[in-house]
Amino acid sequence: MTMAGHDRSNLRKVRLYGVLIGLLGLMMLPFYAMFSSTLKPESEIFAAPATLVPSDPSIQAYLQVWTQTDVLLWVGNSFIISVGTVVLTLLLAIPAAYSCARNDFVGKRTFLLSVLVVQMFAPVVLIVGLFDVITQMGLFNTYLAVIVPAAAFTLPFNVWMLYGYFKTIPVALEESARIDGASQLQILTKIVLPLTKPALVASVTYTFLYAWNRLLFVLTFLTDSAKYNIPRGVFSMVGALQTDWRMMLTVSVIGIIPLLILFAFLEEYIVAGMTAGAVKE
Amino acid sequence: MSLAEEYTEASDDSRLERGLAYVQRNSRAYLLIAPAAVFLLAVVGYPIIETFRLSLYQSPADSNIETFVGLQHYVEIFNSDIFYRLLWQTGRWVAVGVAGKTLLGLLIAVHLKGDIRGRKFFRTAFLIPWGIPYAISAVVFRWIEHPQFGYLNAILLKLGIIEQGIGILGNPSIAWLGVVVADIWIGTPFMAIIFLAGLQSIPQELYEAAAIDGAEKWHQFRYITLPQLKSVVLIATLLSTIWTFVSFDVIWTMTGGGPISSTATLVIHIYQVGLQNGNLGRGAAYSVIGFLFLFVFAIIYLRIYTRGGDEL
Repeated sequence: MTMAGHDRSNLRKVRLYGVLIGLLGLMMLPFYAMFSSTLKPESEIFAAPATLVPSDPSIQAYLQVWTQTDVLLWVGNSFIISVGTVVLTLLLAIPAAYSCARNDFVGKRTFLLSVLVVQMFAPVVLIVGLFDVITQMGLFNTYLAVIVPAAAFTLPFNVWMLYGYFKTIPVALEESARIDGASQLQILTKIVLPLTKPALVASVTYTFLYAWNRLLFVLTFLTDSAKYNIPRGVFSMVGALQTDWRMMLTVSVIGIIPLLILFAFLEEYIVAGMTAGAVKE
Repeated sequence: MSLAEEYTEASDDSRLERGLAYVQRNSRAYLLIAPAAVFLLAVVGYPIIETFRLSLYQSPADSNIETFVGLQHYVEIFNSDIFYRLLWQTGRWVAVGVAGKTLLGLLIAVHLKGDIRGRKFFRTAFLIPWGIPYAISAVVFRWIEHPQFGYLNAILLKLGIIEQGIGILGNPSIAWLGVVVADIWIGTPFMAIIFLAGLQSIPQELYEAAAIDGAEKWHQFRYITLPQLKSVVLIATLLSTIWTFVSFDVIWTMTGGGPISSTATLVIHIYQVGLQNGNLGRGAAYSVIGFLFLFVFAIIYLRIYTRGGDEL
């Protein structure tokens, strides 16, 4: 490479990183606004115009938040709802996906395509009918009022993800296990599922995030504030006349920390899940 | 599918018998999908039917009395100004939102494509807005846009762009822009990730050949990248259109549809009428109109997804 060419490629690199860092900075601004505000004392957070850098940063808000708000309760409820949704979804999705991957039967195509359509059927458009059903089932104000619809709307993703993966596992592997005397359940839990780990992790992460992040179901089907999750808790802090912004933003920071940890460890699986269905190999 | 053909080609007399035998032979396959199928029928299928039924009734949520009113809700909706205003507000919300997400997503993806250091870090960082509760993003943007204490006003004042703080979310003519910005922020990562995956699946040889032919960067983008990315862009914008159309949490948390309904979209109106005001029948009628939109989107999606008669 000539010197001139080298310079040009260096210049291109600088520009590339410049744009990337610029975009990243822009995207990070809301996080900065959120986090820096939580470090301000009460007097400073209500300064007009806002100070862009806290003049006297303190972690006071993070000490007060545990007693001044129900954040622990909300995080706990978020876990209950997310884990419950994951369990229910997997219990329904694994057998269905496995059956479709291993058998050819009338109605399979219809089943798989209907499931795909459900994925598209946004819950908010269905909320009036859903309200009726949840009430009729007697689930109103129980965790299941949120878990059941969340499971229904994450089921499509799970079925398709697992179905696609099960298909890649050679049948021969199962047949040899069957000859060795393994039962169908043993084959599924000891051989098939361990090999499906990447798809399982992607499914679980997707479902967990879905249930953790959505406000709609909790807003509509849970009026008991003891069962609020993080989004609902944050929403309840928005006052008509007065909002305790400092506490609300502190709760928000706490509410996304478990997710940041999740992203750091499972980024590849999340990306794999996001691109499934949009990018065909 | 030989068994299936045997079943469908059976003569009338023996059809039921053969059908039963067929189900019996495949009982395990059916038993395994049964729980998921029944669950979806109960939690999604039944509410769909219930929505259609409710839309024909005058049905207040707080009483058990339902009065059959036929198509009255639909007639009233189509004759109301609100409906057309909602269509316009939903249209601009979707158009601006999807355009913003697509362009920003493409911009990020193109810059992440190459062999850059720290790609995993960048990719994870760009992912975050998509993966956190919408309600949290919404309150953060509400805070940024706060008329007195918000960071946006502080920055604009410092730069001398404005002389007095502006209240975006309280102003009916610009409030929707204040909300759409948050929605774009949330929806961009999905587009970026999809486009990135699409870009990475383009064979490198195409670019090498173009480079030998002396094609410029812009031409490479125009004549290789865009055509190769076409189906990915199509699916991603379609999904994004659906999600933007049904976006609820962000609008509800930021403005609740106000001020004076200027940020309300069709789905916000469904919620206000059906659940907040407790007019289940009218809300259901609006929902059915929402179904129609989703139905069209779904058909396009299935067309693209199953194009070329791919094996499922």
